[in-house]
Amino acid sequence: MKKGKLPESEMPVYTDTEEILERERKILLELGNDITRVREKNDLLMLFRKRIKGFFYFTHTIVTLIDYKDETYIPFLLDNDGSPIRSHARYQEMVQSRFSLNEPFIQSVLQSAEPISFLLEDIMDQPKSPAFLRVNYEKGVREILMTRLMKEEKPMGFIHIYNDKPGSFTTEFRNVMKGIASQLSSAVSNIIKNEEILKKEKEKSFLLDFSSNIATVRTKEELARAVRTALSSLNPPGGFVIRRINEDNTTMSPYVYDLSKTHDPEMIRALERARYPIHDGLQNRVLNSSIPLLFNVDREIQRGITSSYLQYWKTMGFKEIVGIRLRNGETNHGILFLDIAEINIELLQGICAQISIAIANIMANEKIHEKQEEQAFLLEFSNDISQVRSKQDLQDAIFRVLDKTMHSQLAMIRVMNDDGFHLSAFMFDRTLFENAKVDFEKMMATPITVEETYTAQVLASKDGLVFNVEEELRGGNAYAKLWKTTGLKNMYGLPLRVGDKIIGTIWLLANKLSQLLLKGICAQISIAIANIQANEKLLAYKKQLEVENDYLKEQIKTIYNFSEIIGSGEHMQKVYHLMSLVADSNSTVLVLGETGTGKELIARAIHNASPRKDKLMVKLNCAALPANLIESELFGHEKGAFTGAIDRRIGKFELANNSTLFLDEIGELPLEAQAKLLRVIQERELERVGGKQIIRIDVRLIAATNRNLEEEVKAGRFRADLYFRLNVFPIHLPPLRDRLEDIEALTHFFVGKYSRNTGRTIRKIAPKVIQQLRSYTWPGNVRELEHLLERSILLATDGALDEVYIPQHTDPGKKDIAYLLNRSLEEVERSYIIETLKRCAGKISGAGSAAEVLKIPGNTLHSKMKKFGISKSDYFA
Amino acid sequence: MKIVVIGGTGLIGTKVVSQLRQFGHEVIAASPNTGINTITGEGLAEAMKNTDVVIDLANSPSFEDKAVLEFFQTSGRNLLAAEINAGVKHHVALSIVGVDLMQNVGYMRAKQAQEDLIRQSGVPYTIIRSTQFLEFLAGIANQATEGNEVHLSDVQFQPIAADDVAYFVTKYALGNPVNGKIEIAGPERFKIYEIVTMFLQHSDDPRSVVPNGKPVYFGGEITKTALVPAGHAELGAINFEQWWSKQLQKV
Repeated sequence: MKKGKLPESEMPVYTDTEEILERERKILLELGNDITRVREKNDLLMLFRKRIKGFFYFTHTIVTLIDYKDETYIPFLLDNDGSPIRSHARYQEMVQSRFSLNEPFIQSVLQSAEPISFLLEDIMDQPKSPAFLRVNYEKGVREILMTRLMKEEKPMGFIHIYNDKPGSFTTEFRNVMKGIASQLSSAVSNIIKNEEILKKEKEKSFLLDFSSNIATVRTKEELARAVRTALSSLNPPGGFVIRRINEDNTTMSPYVYDLSKTHDPEMIRALERARYPIHDGLQNRVLNSSIPLLFNVDREIQRGITSSYLQYWKTMGFKEIVGIRLRNGETNHGILFLDIAEINIELLQGICAQISIAIANIMANEKIHEKQEEQAFLLEFSNDISQVRSKQDLQDAIFRVLDKTMHSQLAMIRVMNDDGFHLSAFMFDRTLFENAKVDFEKMMATPITVEETYTAQVLASKDGLVFNVEEELRGGNAYAKLWKTTGLKNMYGLPLRVGDKIIGTIWLLANKLSQLLLKGICAQISIAIANIQANEKLLAYKKQLEVENDYLKEQIKTIYNFSEIIGSGEHMQKVYHLMSLVADSNSTVLVLGETGTGKELIARAIHNASPRKDKLMVKLNCAALPANLIESELFGHEKGAFTGAIDRRIGKFELANNSTLFLDEIGELPLEAQAKLLRVIQERELERVGGKQIIRIDVRLIAATNRNLEEEVKAGRFRADLYFRLNVFPIHLPPLRDRLEDIEALTHFFVGKYSRNTGRTIRKIAPKVIQQLRSYTWPGNVRELEHLLERSILLATDGALDEVYIPQHTDPGKKDIAYLLNRSLEEVERSYIIETLKRCAGKISGAGSAAEVLKIPGNTLHSKMKKFGISKSDYFA
Repeated sequence: MKIVVIGGTGLIGTKVVSQLRQFGHEVIAASPNTGINTITGEGLAEAMKNTDVVIDLANSPSFEDKAVLEFFQTSGRNLLAAEINAGVKHHVALSIVGVDLMQNVGYMRAKQAQEDLIRQSGVPYTIIRSTQFLEFLAGIANQATEGNEVHLSDVQFQPIAADDVAYFVTKYALGNPVNGKIEIAGPERFKIYEIVTMFLQHSDDPRSVVPNGKPVYFGGEITKTALVPAGHAELGAINFEQWWSKQLQKV
């Protein structure tokens, strides 16, 4: 039976049947023990190679398994070491092949309960015979022994034993194979089970590792790292990309990816930045599929899907890609694309579930982060805003915030007017109007009221409204055209409220704004605007108070700071009477009188007696101002009205609103200003210099001058019309020399005043002093008297005012030069003596007498009086 | 051609698979047992590789209304998605004659949903609507049994032998896609109580048929002609007697 020489020389040769059976039994027993220990492929290989080969001669063995799904059998275990066909060109093809069960060769094996051998020569060229027969033959193999492996009464596979020496398969060998076939079957089953268990274990530990890695993921970068680590341990390691559905819900963008397959920076950039429409024919298919989808890149391109990523994939050499949706609950988050051809559903779904949760977590994290950032941002904005004091500050703060952080554009902030009906523009972005090339002024001139459609809607809403620019444009709204120029999609209109009070409206252009941010910002802006408005009012009040304060101080300083007017003479009585007549009315008063007669005092007295006395009288000295400033003094000016006008200034007229304006030295007013003044008096309204706003005023005018206005008019230095306007109610103040009777009272008053001021007590005024004072002509009137007395008090030594220092160089001939010129010396001498006597109260000689004034001895005066016939009746008239 | 038969291990499936193999086609008999699951997607993509024709003969493991609808929808969606990806050129599905007339029945709604998915998928298709199989007779009798009586209506019934169904499925699977539905039925038309009476007599069953039941099928009331083809139908070659004699042979 044994034709071939056996390499093992120690192998004994049995001839007796019983001995053969005994040997078979022993072999079976030994092998049986070994087979039960088989756990993996290698164990089985070793069994064939070391044990069975020890008993029988063969070249190599192969185990194949039946796949009933398509009725084929496939190589399962290959004895590579002994196989002579490994060098055959078709070896790899054989290893990968599926061999059909529907052909005579394998069918005869299936039918045969016992091991069955074939000479390859006989069967390999039969039609349908499997290719491996010929491949073996070509490498010197001549005979094959096929043994069925059975499982649950059904063939599960075959053991192929090959031999290069025909006739090597002895009966003994066959019997042994038959004997161990069932044990081998269970060994193969065990191996398969074990492999499955191992694979499951591996998957489980992989998923466990992945799970613990993913559990710590908080950011996108960490996720990328975890996924990359996990997928790189898969076999084979494939490229991947996770795409996330963008906020717009219509596109997807790469989120986490492994682009190691390409080094083309342009391609990487293109892939990284892309936004692929979801409904591109592929992504939507993956998103709609509950199972992972395997697709072929070329086929999808042929299908006509134009998304650029397919082309890039093709360039990168990807052939088949698996796409799995990433889903959490009922929400799709994105897709995982994997470059693997084999789909292990459990593993993939395990991975995807983890990734989905991680993405959901990251998104939740990002949202929280975003919220925190928004809040931090609001806090910062709040800080900025809290420092805002002016409109310009606010504008800077708002523009900074809107443009940089919110990517939106402020169109307009409107503020509710005091009337609660109109809304006026408070702040707006000029660039918007420039781009639109619309007539901004026209737009602005259109008054907006609370009844305007948009405004009404916004004011009625709680948290504002969003208008879609496109829709509004279709609706034909004129404003929408403006909005369109920004390229932003939505107009957000929000009411600005502080508490329940509506302050105005804010209009923002943006694509998308966070509700939280919007609300926060609007609240801040509302408060800021309210603050600014309050601040502006405060500033105005403050300025007014400052100015008033200045006037008050001035008034306190002024020498005429007393409410009483001294003097009860006949002349003054007349003045008092006139004052009492005119004070109650609003009529313009013209106070005339020589310098120092107390015109301002009279003006104040009139004001204080009028119903306007609660407000401060404003005084303007027309002579004390440069001609070119008078106008701005009177009417105020706007900021920037002229060089040096760095601030807004309120004019005297405005300041004196509801009060009295005292125009001192009106006669000195330049002609140009006279015209302006006239207009104000006529119209009772004014414009600030450089301003457009017309301000209505209610001012009572008191003008004063020491000039003879009629003559000024004649001379053309004063406008006649203004003169007539002012000369409604003239009050002439008598010069001091015409009210000698008041000199004593005035003297006492001033002495008292200056005693207090200087701390020198004047207990007594010599009668001679009074006499001297009365005899002086007082060209400087009361003011001269006051200052003369002040000087005299300072010079007085012993608490008594004994002497006054009346100026010596008086000019009595000031009165009427013509009158003086046409008279004879005698006449002049006579009238002068009478006049001097009058002033000296008829005292002829001694201190304060006419003789002293005339500097002639008393006797000479007596004789001159006699000569000119001057009697007492002349100078005591 | 490579042909995948979903439900390839079932009553019709095994017959179709073996017929197609006899024609020399590469056939994969897909079922959860052979590692191809249309519900989980397991093995589906691999099976679909280079496949030309898919024949869907799968049936729901549960007949509860919701479960059955879910089965046919999920299975149909997954299968069609995989087919589209793999570039399958023909999808053949087995449905039921009168499915659109019996939408009050949960199972029929599910089958209708399956048909709709196929029509909307874009994959070239043939829907084969069949009448009930002769193999169902025992079940129909059992279901209508009360004590020793079988209560059945006079609903029109035209059962077809499973072998005939397999023949038609094979025929249409190898033909061009119809992109519509065709109907198949048995060669003889009965009232349902008549054929069940015949069946019981042939099998020496002691139960008697009472022909006064309501026209009910799968728990829903139906019209008398809902179960038989209304227009043209291809008729099977095996009548009741032939079928019965074959059953005896098998036993």
